[in-house]
Amino acid sequence: MANPTASPAVEFQQVNFAYDRASVLHNISFALRPGEIVGLLGPNGAGKSTTIKLIAGLLVPSSGAITVAGLPLPEKAIAVKQIIGYVPETAVVFESLTGQEFLELCGRLHNVPQDSLQARIRDILETFSLTSERISRLDSYSKGMRQKILIGAALLHNPEIILLDEPLSGLDVNAAILIKDLLAALAADGKTILYSSHVLDVVERICDRVLIIHQGALIADGSADSLKASTHEATLEDVFRNLTHTNSVDTGVARIVEALRS
Amino acid sequence: MNPLERWFRAAVRGTAVSRLLRRFDIDPHRYWLLTDLFSELTERREMFGHLGRDGVSLRTASLFYSVLTGLISLVQVLLGVSTRTYIGTFLGLSGFLLFTILLSETANSLVNPVEGVVLAHQPINGATYTAAKLTHLLRVLAYTVPALNLIPALAGFFLPHATWSYPLLHFTAASLLGLLLALCCCALFGWLIRLFPPARLKIVGQVAESAPLLLLLFASNVTRIFRALDLKVRLGHFDLPPATLHALQAALAVLALGALVFGLRALSGDYLVRVSAIMHARGAKASARRGKTRLAAFIARLAGGAQDNQPARAGFEYVRRLAFRDWQFRRQLIPMLPFASAPVVLLFTGARKSPFEGPFSAMHILPHAIGTIAFFICTVLAFGSDYKGNWIFLCVPNTTFHGFVRGVHAFLCFSLIVIPHAAVYAVLLYQWGPRDASIFIAFSLAASFFYLALTLPLVEGLPFGQPVDTSRGAVLLPIMIGCGLVMSMVVALQHYVLFHSRPLVCAVTLLTATAAVILTRRGLDTFEVAIRYHLGQTSQESTLLYKEVL
Repeated sequence: MANPTASPAVEFQQVNFAYDRASVLHNISFALRPGEIVGLLGPNGAGKSTTIKLIAGLLVPSSGAITVAGLPLPEKAIAVKQIIGYVPETAVVFESLTGQEFLELCGRLHNVPQDSLQARIRDILETFSLTSERISRLDSYSKGMRQKILIGAALLHNPEIILLDEPLSGLDVNAAILIKDLLAALAADGKTILYSSHVLDVVERICDRVLIIHQGALIADGSADSLKASTHEATLEDVFRNLTHTNSVDTGVARIVEALRS
Repeated sequence: MNPLERWFRAAVRGTAVSRLLRRFDIDPHRYWLLTDLFSELTERREMFGHLGRDGVSLRTASLFYSVLTGLISLVQVLLGVSTRTYIGTFLGLSGFLLFTILLSETANSLVNPVEGVVLAHQPINGATYTAAKLTHLLRVLAYTVPALNLIPALAGFFLPHATWSYPLLHFTAASLLGLLLALCCCALFGWLIRLFPPARLKIVGQVAESAPLLLLLFASNVTRIFRALDLKVRLGHFDLPPATLHALQAALAVLALGALVFGLRALSGDYLVRVSAIMHARGAKASARRGKTRLAAFIARLAGGAQDNQPARAGFEYVRRLAFRDWQFRRQLIPMLPFASAPVVLLFTGARKSPFEGPFSAMHILPHAIGTIAFFICTVLAFGSDYKGNWIFLCVPNTTFHGFVRGVHAFLCFSLIVIPHAAVYAVLLYQWGPRDASIFIAFSLAASFFYLALTLPLVEGLPFGQPVDTSRGAVLLPIMIGCGLVMSMVVALQHYVLFHSRPLVCAVTLLTATAAVILTRRGLDTFEVAIRYHLGQTSQESTLLYKEVL
């Protein structure tokens, strides 16, 4: 469970971000505590992945301050990268490497000692049922298998903060259940987890707190129960629809069906 | 790895080198990890277009360079040229070739968003990453510098007045030149990465890559163009005192050194983050000009007929859009720049004299220059950066490709042949009068269509449907040289035999056009089969799940 008195693992203060001249995030402020699993929700293009990339040191904010474990970004980006594990939204890997080689590369880049590295890789591959494919090139892996490798690579160096951008994408049901249990166990171990997803029921079930971003602004921050209570909605999906004004979905569906008939 | 290699590796990676690397803020552990990674990925042909030439391509190119420079050095030694001329020739040649190769390798290597995405969130500092990349570039030098200079350096020993130390001096000078050029190329990209936003980096990188060829082209034609435009440029003579001149030279040298250091430092800053941002950056919005689309629809309807109208339009639009937007495809076209500019250059140099008048007219070259462009385009059309999207073609019925290939062909005809000829025709009408201009353009059109029909079967499958294979350049080079010889003979035939009689030109035009029609039909069928074969391979490959690396 999160410790409310502990100093924040990640802190955003009035953060703004723009790609060229297109503004993506406006005045975002929030804090993540150690041991907390926080869900990051929002429609496509809302700024969820941008938020995660800012924490991972992949983007530099236009203004505002970001600190990760007390380290300011982007000044201490290398030190921050040592303590974060990041699963990107797209499963981009070096495709000619094998699963084993890719994990070894990531572990070595984080200076994980050889003995621990091999033991961790073995455990990760066994847990994800990839042992028999460890010497297959990544270009022959399915989407789900690559995703498992990326999740494994993000955890190998035992990071304090884990950033997950759609981590369940392409995973089978068993693997998805495994990841959910794993995240709960890691949070109990004191890790801070930021979990971006579109699967609202998973977020509702595993996250202690939910952040909703819409059009670059943080429009909700609280537990799923408190958000439901404040908006008088029964489910997180209804809260999401209400706050992001996506009630016009039905008319859109009717238009597409009509267009296909014509 | 044999014991000697193991000993060498341990010695190079020992504590002394590590200490030295740390002085430059380079993390030795990650530096060696990255150099091993780049070397492994290159040999496995991962991101071939990005990590550049593998060992096989480098060895093939080196062999070609060795033969070429060996011949040049033999001729110069036999002529007994001075050592200054000799070393100047080879350093100049090495400088130009190395600059061209290194610039393309640096662009390949440094503007690589996939690598950026995989490595940007890893704890690698900029200095370490840049050092590893520079080491990877030095690998290219290790092949090309000896290939270009080893034989000439040794042969230079036999020059009159050459001392025993000449080979050593020659080789050292060439190696230092290569190193300086590698640093300059890295510094140039350091500047570009610092000055341009991520969304523009790829296109700016391409412009930088094409710079040596454009400069060469401009330099070789500038006097002719100026003469044609009746422009006279007079450079003033400044009589500066020697002290001022030396001060000016020193200031320029300091400025150049400063630019080099700043560029390298810029590269070793947050470079990985900037390059990974290419993937995240929002691209330019495509223009939605309606007029062009309507014309495209008309041409596609002509090409596909009533039945295959929509597939033909799909082919036309697909190639039209990707030809301008596919990064790797555009990069492959850079060596073609001198030929692509041929119609413009020929207008300046050959438009005044009609080929029927007697003296040689450079316009004779026009259809052959277009033929060369067609050859280039057809050999590279199947390769691009968006090849992973070819699954979409696996989901359409096979009959679609009948119209699709006709649409692609229509685009090639229109952009490569019809537009340049229309532009040239307008000028020739004014210069030569309607009769000569019309006969020549009809002949050139027929010959160009003939060339396109000949080269169409060279498209190796679905356009932009495969990753770039840089080793093909070595195979294409001898073919290009052979084709160049044949084309020269045809130009000579045009000048000495054909263009003395207008009826003869008309008859040959008619024959060539008939041959072009027949060959185009066959070429289109072959192209269609190539697409089906390629897609068949793609669908088979996707079912071969497990490729083991032993």
